[in-house]
Amino acid sequence: MKKYVTKRVLMGVLTIFVVFTINFLIIRLAPGSPISTIMGKDNDDPLLRAALEAKYGFDQPLILQYFIYLKNAFSGDLGLSIIYNKEVLSIISERLLPTLLLVLTAALLAVVIGTFMGMYAAKHEGSRVDVFFSGISYMFNSMPAFWLGLILIIIFSSVLGLLPSYGMINSRTSLTGVDYYLDVIRHMILPVSTLVLVEIPIYFRIAKSSIVQTLNEDFIVTLKATGMSERKIFNKYVLRNAILPTITIFGISMGYLITGVALIEIVFAWPGTGDLMLTAINQRDYPTLMGIYLIMSVSVALVMVVVDIIYATLDPRIRF
Amino acid sequence: MDKVLELKDFNVTYKNKSKKVYAVKDINLVINKGDSLGIVGESGSGKSTLAMALLRLLPEKNTDINGSSNFANMDLVQASEKELKEIRWKELSVVFQKSMNALSPVHRIGEQIEDIYRVHKPNARKDEILDRIKALLKLVNLSDRVIKMYPHELSGGMLQRVAIAISLIHDPKLLIMDEATTALDVVTQGQILAEIVKMEQTLDVTRIMITHDISVVATTCNKIAVLYAGELMEVGYVKDILKDPKHPYTKGLLASIPSLSGEKETLTGIPGHLPDLSQKYEGCIFAPRCKFAMEQCEKSKPSEVQLSAENRVWCHLYSHLDRDEQLESREDLVEVNR
Ligand SMILES: Nc1ncnc2c1ncn2[C@@H]1O[C@H](COP(=O)(O)OP(=O)(O)OP(=O)(O)O)[C@@H](O)[C@H]1O
Ligand code: SF4
Ligand SMILES: [Mg+2]
Repeated sequence: MKKYVTKRVLMGVLTIFVVFTINFLIIRLAPGSPISTIMGKDNDDPLLRAALEAKYGFDQPLILQYFIYLKNAFSGDLGLSIIYNKEVLSIISERLLPTLLLVLTAALLAVVIGTFMGMYAAKHEGSRVDVFFSGISYMFNSMPAFWLGLILIIIFSSVLGLLPSYGMINSRTSLTGVDYYLDVIRHMILPVSTLVLVEIPIYFRIAKSSIVQTLNEDFIVTLKATGMSERKIFNKYVLRNAILPTITIFGISMGYLITGVALIEIVFAWPGTGDLMLTAINQRDYPTLMGIYLIMSVSVALVMVVVDIIYATLDPRIRF
Repeated sequence: MDKVLELKDFNVTYKNKSKKVYAVKDINLVINKGDSLGIVGESGSGKSTLAMALLRLLPEKNTDINGSSNFANMDLVQASEKELKEIRWKELSVVFQKSMNALSPVHRIGEQIEDIYRVHKPNARKDEILDRIKALLKLVNLSDRVIKMYPHELSGGMLQRVAIAISLIHDPKLLIMDEATTALDVVTQGQILAEIVKMEQTLDVTRIMITHDISVVATTCNKIAVLYAGELMEVGYVKDILKDPKHPYTKGLLASIPSLSGEKETLTGIPGHLPDLSQKYEGCIFAPRCKFAMEQCEKSKPSEVQLSAENRVWCHLYSHLDRDEQLESREDLVEVNR
């Protein structure tokens, strides 16, 4: 087990490193330059350009820029944002918490709700509830998340006026304590619902198909032949076997969420990394963009490692 | 003699969307206490279907079971789930043909055996269970280490032995072994079979042994039932039938086995293959492959011919043993029983 964990962590680090390198190259290959953004459209003073290039290190050869960035990144220095003129790390860490709040809440809700729906549907395959669940699961699965978000805003904010449609707190009031948290929760409802609704179908389907498949395994027949109660067979033997694909899917889907949440954050003006990323892309703010990508790839790699380790503890066939 | 299991007009039909498969047809069979019955027949002849249907383990949605099967004062065909749960494994246990996948891959073997033990003895102490498991593992020639292992860490033969051990856990009255020793080498197979036969003498276990291997039947069974395309061809004492098979199919089966004495004989085998089981046939189901087939064989199904107390055959070749003679032999039987 120890060996497996070490191996898996090393793999994760390697992945981050590769992603890091690819990001570095792609951003620099993209047309446009941050210096032009800073200098403004009409200004073309070569002296100013040279000075700015020197300040941000763009005068160095690409390979050198890469190693300098690598070295600094290791010591936690992601450089200065070109737009905000602040430490990238501090800009990102301000925005990271809201994003994590959104992503983790949505992921956990989706996996729990979707899996329970799948369990129910598998147990009552062909029942009306199963048909209903499968139907709405197809519907939400085929909906683009941002579009669903907009629809929810129209219904629950514009028409019904029940929920706030943007931001994380009501900036016109200064709430404290419990009220503050309640306000955050109110603001979270729509964006989280959007993410949960598009994620549920994935967990629903994987749980249902995996349980149906497990119920047809030979060992279920053995356990039945021993007279064991259906409930014990299901709760102990079916679930433990059937939950494995859900764990894998959870990892993959977390990856999508971490990167895909950006669009939802923009729709709901959520003060997370997604919004920051959009500005950084528009302004060619390389250091900030690199920082966000780095944090994202580290998060994804981390989630994958954790998921793989959980999987390995649940499935004895994985070890060594 | 005490009847342990009595099958009357037992039929099993698989229903798919488009067709029906008549896998087991009109089986009439009695198994007495202490018997060990070998069921033989080529692949696809319905041996496993018969066993699974007896145990009521086939999905009810797409199988029809008709007739009756009396066991432990109840008709297993009609019994409720609750009644079945009572007798499962305590009175009636099984070693499945696919013992490779007979256990959950993500639970330790010991834990699974413990759970199975607790089905009928929920308050058993841990050390009591452990003692029982160890004794059974010893019986099937496995080390105690297996308790802590997962199924994938065992070989096919080891898993088969675990399955045999588990089947014996509650000293069942009737034990069904479906190809239970096929994955074992001859030595291990012999050892385990010897242990089981020895055990049967002390505990009263009655055994049904489903196998392709006639030598297993020869060494461990007293009776044999020959199944072809879901129908009984011949039933009787092993000692009679192996020496003097009556049914042409039994003759063919025996002729396709290399002689145990090692003498060189030409293996004849049986040309042709199993008929399509989704059809119903008028005459003898074996007729297309039978070298003795006569005109009436195509037209009418041979009925049961009682050759002696326990030996029966379904073949027109023996219909000439007319009723009187059959009656006579029945009278003999009555005398024997007296
Ligand atoms: N679920 C099913 N649906 C339809 N037909 C089936 C099903 N299972 C088995 N059969 C058919 O029933 C017949 C008997 O199968 P069965 O498994 O009982 O044979 P068997 O005698 O045990 O063979 P083997 O020696 O290979 O184990 C076969 O013709 C098979 O094709
Ligand atoms: S009844 Fe006829 S066809 Fe069938 S086994 Fe006997 S001789 Fe052969
Ligand atoms: Mg079989």
